[in-house]
Amino acid sequence: MDNWLVVMMLSASTLLGALGLWALLWGLKTGQFDDPKKFLDGALLDSEEALQDAIEMENRKKELKKKKEKSYSPPD
Amino acid sequence: MSKIRCSHCHLEYDESILIEDDGLYFCCKGCQGIYHLLKSEGLDDFYEKLGSNTIAPPKEIKESLEKFDKEAFFKKYVSITKEGFCSISLVIDGIYCSACIWLNEKVLHKTDGIVEVSINHTNNKAKIVWDNDTIKLSSIIEVIRNIGYNAYPYDASMQEVQANAKRRDYYSRLLVGIFCTMNIMWIAIAQYGGYFTGMRDDIKDILNFAAFILSSPALFYTGGVFFKGAYYGLKNRFVNMDLLVISGALSAYIFSIYSMFSGHGETYFESVAMIITFVFAGKYLEVLTKKRVVDTLDSFSSSIPNEVLVVNEQEKIFKSIESVEAGDIIEIKAGERVAIDGIIVSGEGSFDNSSLSGESEPVYLKAGDKVLSGGILLDSVVRYEATCAYKDSTLHKIVSLLEDAMDKKPHIQKVADEISGHFSSIILLFSVLTFFGWYYYTNSFEQALVVAISVIVIACPCALGLATPVATLVGLSRAIKRGVLFKEASLLESIAKCNTVVLDKTGTLTYGKPSVVKVFLKKEIDLSLIYSLVSLSTHPISRGVKEYLSKQKPTLYELKGIKVIEAKGIKAYYAGKKIVLGNRAFLSDEGVSFSEDLDQMSVLHIAIDGSYCGAFYLEDSLREGADQTVKWLKLKGLRVIMLSGDNRAVVQKIAKRLEIEEYHDSMLPEQKAKFIKKLRSNSRRVVMVGDGINDTLALSNSEVAITLGSGTDVALSVSDVVLLEESFDGLKDAFLVSYRTYGNIKQNLAISLLYNVITIPLAMAGYVIPLIAALSMSLSSLLVVGNSMRIK
Repeated sequence: MDNWLVVMMLSASTLLGALGLWALLWGLKTGQFDDPKKFLDGALLDSEEALQDAIEMENRKKELKKKKEKSYSPPD
Repeated sequence: MSKIRCSHCHLEYDESILIEDDGLYFCCKGCQGIYHLLKSEGLDDFYEKLGSNTIAPPKEIKESLEKFDKEAFFKKYVSITKEGFCSISLVIDGIYCSACIWLNEKVLHKTDGIVEVSINHTNNKAKIVWDNDTIKLSSIIEVIRNIGYNAYPYDASMQEVQANAKRRDYYSRLLVGIFCTMNIMWIAIAQYGGYFTGMRDDIKDILNFAAFILSSPALFYTGGVFFKGAYYGLKNRFVNMDLLVISGALSAYIFSIYSMFSGHGETYFESVAMIITFVFAGKYLEVLTKKRVVDTLDSFSSSIPNEVLVVNEQEKIFKSIESVEAGDIIEIKAGERVAIDGIIVSGEGSFDNSSLSGESEPVYLKAGDKVLSGGILLDSVVRYEATCAYKDSTLHKIVSLLEDAMDKKPHIQKVADEISGHFSSIILLFSVLTFFGWYYYTNSFEQALVVAISVIVIACPCALGLATPVATLVGLSRAIKRGVLFKEASLLESIAKCNTVVLDKTGTLTYGKPSVVKVFLKKEIDLSLIYSLVSLSTHPISRGVKEYLSKQKPTLYELKGIKVIEAKGIKAYYAGKKIVLGNRAFLSDEGVSFSEDLDQMSVLHIAIDGSYCGAFYLEDSLREGADQTVKWLKLKGLRVIMLSGDNRAVVQKIAKRLEIEEYHDSMLPEQKAKFIKKLRSNSRRVVMVGDGINDTLALSNSEVAITLGSGTDVALSVSDVVLLEESFDGLKDAFLVSYRTYGNIKQNLAISLLYNVITIPLAMAGYVIPLIAALSMSLSSLLVVGNSMRIK
């Protein structure tokens, strides 16, 4: 068996495994596993309407932000 | 009568008591109001999502909304985001299913000024971000209340977040450790194969290098906590387990790097990863149990008010509790909690001191009487003069007492730490001696180092370190299945060593809620009338009578001219008749005189139109399973003592029924605590079982404090073990699990000690290479884990 084959197999499998580990750690860090029920409920509650609500809220946030920036006057 | 479901909460009721509304039925005005509100807002999808689930009908919330807009509240709970919005963490009360979450999210989404809402479906905690110029926090809470839920703030920046972050960090480290160890073992298997059958040097180099890459994150990331622990230990001149783990792993690691590059000898990277990961797993289990303690402390500190209304010269201002001085006049309204001790100057009212005394009956206080912080005013408005600053008040004293208790390490743990410290020093000394001994005799640096590392690795405290935590963890999970919650793992050991059990009476051996034991009626009366009247009061006696009468399926009458006089009685009119219920004094105030009475019991007398009709006699009943548990405890050779604040006659009666020979009555909280202290100074190891704040001092003085889940917040926080079920059998289970676990720990320690006694001399003699040392170490750990699984 060629050396490069062993090197390639070892590094490819380790890298793939590390990729999976990284994804898991990323999920942990960003709180993807904090609310297991939300995923199950999502199947029941998600709808076009929910998306609509989310967009509306985003827009509202932007508007309020703009308003805040306008009303803010820097000290002289 | 036919049963019909309420259109809002879906609970079943008799048709007669439901409110009919255009073909719909409602159990109360609250449900009706919410139904129409949801309909008009276009949110009636809620009922489709609710399906066949039921929810609780909305409760009337008396607590005012004002406090949410106060500055002190804002400072404590609200944080400002980068964009300049406000953010708060709330716990939403009354959520039963996913439809409830949907409704809350939907309503909050629709509210103008709210820019972010996220509700955790698992623990019902919500994070809300809003623009304070558009909407006030009180209005947001009002929106939630309007649809039949309630929200409480909680301080998310406090310990909970820290504990969660630590747990998450440890979990990540553990995952990395497991990943590295698993992969390195594949490589190790190839290396073991090559060890016996021979392997080309270039292949060996490749495998060594891969193992080196994989073991590095395990040692430096996962093992980072050990480096830290060892550093702090050395800084405080203390040799600990962490140092032993690090010195073993690090020396094996450095030696492996040396042999990898020089081509001399074997590498031991897999041992490095395994040592670190195994020991770290034990450490992770410790972090898991600690989180629970933090949860209870949080729930208590949120019940303390942060502002009080101070009255000075006809002006009322809110002051934060820390700035109130002795002599300030404080005004409190119904439903508010007293934050600072004082003496009433004007007004009178009933105070619910149950969170302080555990006594369920409200106390009636008037001008000149002393109010204690922690009590809740139930009715009217009272002004009182503060007699001390907040830091000297009862409530604050209890809180600081609790915080102290949390910091205290149990005695056994200290001893264990000390022993492991000595163990570590001795092993390090042994390995150094071994190194010099071998170097002197063989003159080979490599061989001397390999043997020295073997000594450290084989003695690596795995089995010894795992002996206690694994057994206790198995014990803890078995205990939780039986409804017994241990706040710390080491408590299993502490309970097993105790020889005295001290029991509180009210609320512990008994339910603390009076129930009707005897009814005496002079003439035939309509019991539904009594039922309608007692339904109006929340007094424990009224509740007891209501519960008794509700078994006879009474009807609710509409009464007129209702008057509830707290701590005395109730009167009302029905069909021209005047009905009076209450204690003896209240009835004689109403001009009714009679002779019947019974000592040792709570009584509710009845008079209709001025003539005496009879009475209900109530008594506190014995908790389920109390008699069997007491018998069992005595059978196990434990000394059982009962303490109570009640009078002698009542205590004697209960003691006789439970066959407890040793009991003490009329005891104040301090006396209880002194009693426990005295027992302990006579070298008795004491388990105290209690429930109210009146037991808190005694609980914190005992070796192990056990409370029932129905106990007050403070008692729960100071306790070490919580029995989650109402029944008293939990106490027996707590002892049973403790005995078995403690026995198992002893076996585990024996196994690991025996292992060390056999293997350390072998390693010192050079019969064991590090590879075999690491393998046998794992084997000993497996033995210990396997033995622990036998706990039932």
